[in-house]
Amino acid sequence: MAKPAVILVGADKGGVGKTTVSRALLDYLIAHNIPTRAFDTEFPKGTLRRFHPDITEVVDLTSTADQMKVFDSVSTASAQITVIDVRAGLLSTTLKALRDIGFLDAAKKSQLTFGVFHILGPSVASLDEIAETSGYMGELSYFLVKNFINNTTFFEWDPATYNAYFKKIKGAQEITVPKLNEMACEQVELASVPFVSFVANKGIDTQSANYSFVLRGYVRHWLGNVWAEFDRVRLNDIVGADASRKNQARQERAG
Amino acid sequence: MERRTPIFIIASPRPRVGKTLLARTLAEFLRSEDRPAAAFDCNPGEFALVDYLPGDTAVADITETKDQITLFDQFLAEDRVPKVVDVGHSLFDKFFTVIQQIGFVEEARQRGATPVVLFLADGDRRSRQGYAVLRDRFAHLPIVPVINEALPQAIRFRDDFLGTRTGGAPLTIPALSPVIKGVIERPSFSFAALAVTASDTTTEFYGWTRRVFLEYRELELRLLLAELRPALKFSA
Repeated sequence: MAKPAVILVGADKGGVGKTTVSRALLDYLIAHNIPTRAFDTEFPKGTLRRFHPDITEVVDLTSTADQMKVFDSVSTASAQITVIDVRAGLLSTTLKALRDIGFLDAAKKSQLTFGVFHILGPSVASLDEIAETSGYMGELSYFLVKNFINNTTFFEWDPATYNAYFKKIKGAQEITVPKLNEMACEQVELASVPFVSFVANKGIDTQSANYSFVLRGYVRHWLGNVWAEFDRVRLNDIVGADASRKNQARQERAG
Repeated sequence: MERRTPIFIIASPRPRVGKTLLARTLAEFLRSEDRPAAAFDCNPGEFALVDYLPGDTAVADITETKDQITLFDQFLAEDRVPKVVDVGHSLFDKFFTVIQQIGFVEEARQRGATPVVLFLADGDRRSRQGYAVLRDRFAHLPIVPVINEALPQAIRFRDDFLGTRTGGAPLTIPALSPVIKGVIERPSFSFAALAVTASDTTTEFYGWTRRVFLEYRELELRLLLAELRPALKFSA
């Protein structure tokens, strides 16, 4: 059995597309048959939960009780992977709390897999966030996600400055999320279904829907590109899903 | 066996190579065969096909997503009506990028339609590049080069546009004398009416129309054969 894995998706700035990336990530993991659960920290209403209600729970990560609910159950949950969509402004705080409770040390000792998807915005403030967040990460999986879904141009970034930050962080990998057609993005929002369901023309509760073929095509193309990025950084290997599946196949053959 | 519905996409990255003439004659050929086509004029800023076939032509600008939805949903309507699409040169890249991104070719096939690109060739470098890009991007889409003999040096560039495995040999549109060209450019002129009602079959007009319609008939036979080929293989 693969080690349990926790993936935080967050940023200290709001409106950079954290939940969109979390949704694409959940779709990817589910499509690869990896048992996954998610926590939505937009307490109390939740946004991620609207798209993946079956596997998502809304929690308040600032409360100790909910921190226990999430992190104490990582090893015992039936889901191998825990994805946490961290509310704006809470990424550094959450990482600090994880360091304080010894969670990051456990990950460094390879008792579990831990990764952070740090969603970057176009402002220079995002670069300062990288410096702060990377301080917690050490050798752990750290992904810097340039999210263009909202047509972000990263105009404030000087490439030399960005590279200076980026190169300091050992093992950090860059992921690019391309722009999604605005109308397609809006329609998936209105439909309140996972991207995969939208592409398959399925509504809530998997009943047949009547989404535009053009918009479904745009979403399929975009999602394919995002998943290609996840493949490129070998996300499957990092979360140990490939090893887990190979073991399962071996056991099935032996049985 | 039900025939697949053709969606003829007439395109070139170059202006003034005969796209609208091809779209117009093809739509009229289909009408003369009692299979009236739905025509789409995608030439923002210089709509022309709609002037010749106002009753059968919808105007579309695919730069807006809303218009793309309307247009592609009409292409995919399972109404068994052939479609003729005149794509303006300025939208060449945009049109085929959208088609590729939304997986149009595969979806059309699933819905019983066969998209076919009729590519108007000319001697310009951009034309050769556009043709090569289309062949590269759409390996399974029938792409048929069309040689318009009215273009200067058509004999020279003909060899740059060899037929494709899926689309077959190039079509040829013969040149017309300038006087007759002036007549067919009148919006009220109808090739289909001429083909049916002409009393004198020896005129240049009639000969030209007959030859062009023959090219289209051969194209249709080629498409039919491509549809039947799997069944023929199986029965052999």
